[in-house]
Amino acid sequence: MSAQSAVRTAGPGAGAWRPDPGAVIEAAALTQVYPGPVTALDELSVLIGPGVTGLVGANGAGKSTLIKVLLGLLAPTRGHAAVLGLDCAAQGARIRALTGYMPEHDCLPPDVTATEFVTHMGRMSGLPATAAKERAADSLRHVGLYEERYRQVGTYSTGMKQRVKLAQALAGDPRLLLLDEPTNGLDPGGRGAMLELIARIGAEFGISIVVASHLLGEIEQICDHLVAIDGGRLLRADTISSVTRATAVLLIEVDEGTEQLAAALAGRGLAALPQARGLLVRLAGEDTYDVVRDTVADLGLALNRMEQRRHRLEELFRDEAASDERAGEAHVG
Amino acid sequence: MSASAGPAGPAGVIHDIGYRSYDGQRLGRAAIVRALTWHSLRAVFGLRRGAKAKIIPVLTFAVMCLPAVVNAAAVALSHDHTRQVSYDTYTASLRVLVLVAFLAAQAPEVVSRDLRSHVLPLYFARPIRRADYPLAKLAAFFLACLIMIEVPLLLLYLGTVSQVHGGSAIWAQTRALIPGLLLGVAWAAVLAGLGLLLASFTGRRAFATGAVAVYFLLTLTLASLLTSIGEHDFGSGGLAHPSALAQLAGLISPFTVLDGLRQWLGGTTPGMIPNPGSYGPAYGLAFLILLAVGTGGLVLRYRKVSGA
Repeated sequence: MSAQSAVRTAGPGAGAWRPDPGAVIEAAALTQVYPGPVTALDELSVLIGPGVTGLVGANGAGKSTLIKVLLGLLAPTRGHAAVLGLDCAAQGARIRALTGYMPEHDCLPPDVTATEFVTHMGRMSGLPATAAKERAADSLRHVGLYEERYRQVGTYSTGMKQRVKLAQALAGDPRLLLLDEPTNGLDPGGRGAMLELIARIGAEFGISIVVASHLLGEIEQICDHLVAIDGGRLLRADTISSVTRATAVLLIEVDEGTEQLAAALAGRGLAALPQARGLLVRLAGEDTYDVVRDTVADLGLALNRMEQRRHRLEELFRDEAASDERAGEAHVG
Repeated sequence: MSASAGPAGPAGVIHDIGYRSYDGQRLGRAAIVRALTWHSLRAVFGLRRGAKAKIIPVLTFAVMCLPAVVNAAAVALSHDHTRQVSYDTYTASLRVLVLVAFLAAQAPEVVSRDLRSHVLPLYFARPIRRADYPLAKLAAFFLACLIMIEVPLLLLYLGTVSQVHGGSAIWAQTRALIPGLLLGVAWAAVLAGLGLLLASFTGRRAFATGAVAVYFLLTLTLASLLTSIGEHDFGSGGLAHPSALAQLAGLISPFTVLDGLRQWLGGTTPGMIPNPGSYGPAYGLAFLILLAVGTGGLVLRYRKVSGA
């Protein structure tokens, strides 16, 4: 039985499911229902290859549940998942030995040095004592914390703490890194540095990376591929360039009369999404600018700002969730 | 794969060392659990930590050893070289108080710290299984309690045998020591389990310390109170013929359960409670229940802790 047909027939009864050996992550009709019942993952099927992949979804989209299933910490209600060709349900320990995980939230004890902590976490990944020490020093240097590594973690800035979290994920020499919101809590400078670091690890270290984030902009900067999930279902799985082309939008800010403008734009065939301080319209082409300019002029409004922007993720979902649902299913089948 | 970059870049620039993958040995689950146990045991005694982390473990350990040191001096100075402290009860009230202080201060160090800093998802994302974490912590704290209890007994033994003469005298000491050591194992197992279980309910160290101290002191006070009421008001025969209340009140506190277990198994040194007599098996059962509650409760507790 080929892997393809196995995926198609995957279900509770498909005992002979074989993971695709070429995929870094594979989900086949993966369903996770929590008591309640709350469906966190709903027939999710996706194939993630080597490289840097963005896993995007709003809060509650199922990212964290997917990560738990992938690490073998949660047995899926139905369907299958595999990491590095290993079945998550049966070979969780082996997967966890080969996977570095950086959680979203704080996870560092304040009263140990970064060296001690990363060494200990390396040992917990199965490294012998000497190797763990060497790899801790290497990992901390790779994340740019060489000079400060003998300081207690509690004295670190948020950016340095994020780096320690990344270093502990690297300590076990993983084949795959699962990074959950790696720029959480960082200022713009820190975000940039963290993204650069992740991109470098993906490009130079030969480690596949999955970055879970709710910020599409960050995913765009560093990822080759994007997997978008919403409500536990696959929304999109594509290369970054094809996704971002479709998501360029125009932000329009006027002094007052925002609602009036929205109605007028709708009259001219431009669906406008109200924002906190303006309107968003999809940027279809150069014409869009003209239509907006003319509409504003006709209404006699004071135009404060008109700028091209990427969709924020929630907007991407709001727009496309309904229309893409079927397309998404077809895409993954 | 060779990591040597060769003469391409300027030598000695530390950042230019590329990524080196690890091709060496990867240890299995058992070795990882052992490493975690050892790591936690060191943490209990504040090793490789600051001076502040060492104060309480070192102090309690020193106080615990004090009777053994005093005994050694007394044995050396007295004419008949008689041992002053018994192996099976050591110095009951001192040992209990010092152990409560040790449990209350150090059980949170073993478990609450990790809860507080939310480091558990990192452990659970590693090859070990979920129950391995609490069991490794329990093993570490059990060993720590064992050190606190058995090392003073061994000092007591060494201080005594260094002064007695003749193989039979040494043999008599050794035979008296062994039940004491075995009871010490029972003490360490019960106290480590209960102490960690109580501490594992909160990441706030002060609360964990309070919970452990209050539980052990309150139950002990209650047991002592009811025992003395049973002895004075209801028992006509005093210590020799204690009332049922006096014999059963000890079931309230883990310390008196351990003392009742000792007497049921044949210990004759007067202890914290009167001899349980025919109620002895109740103490045996209570001991097993406390052991199961501590160990099982801890494993169950960590099934609920959020993992990722």
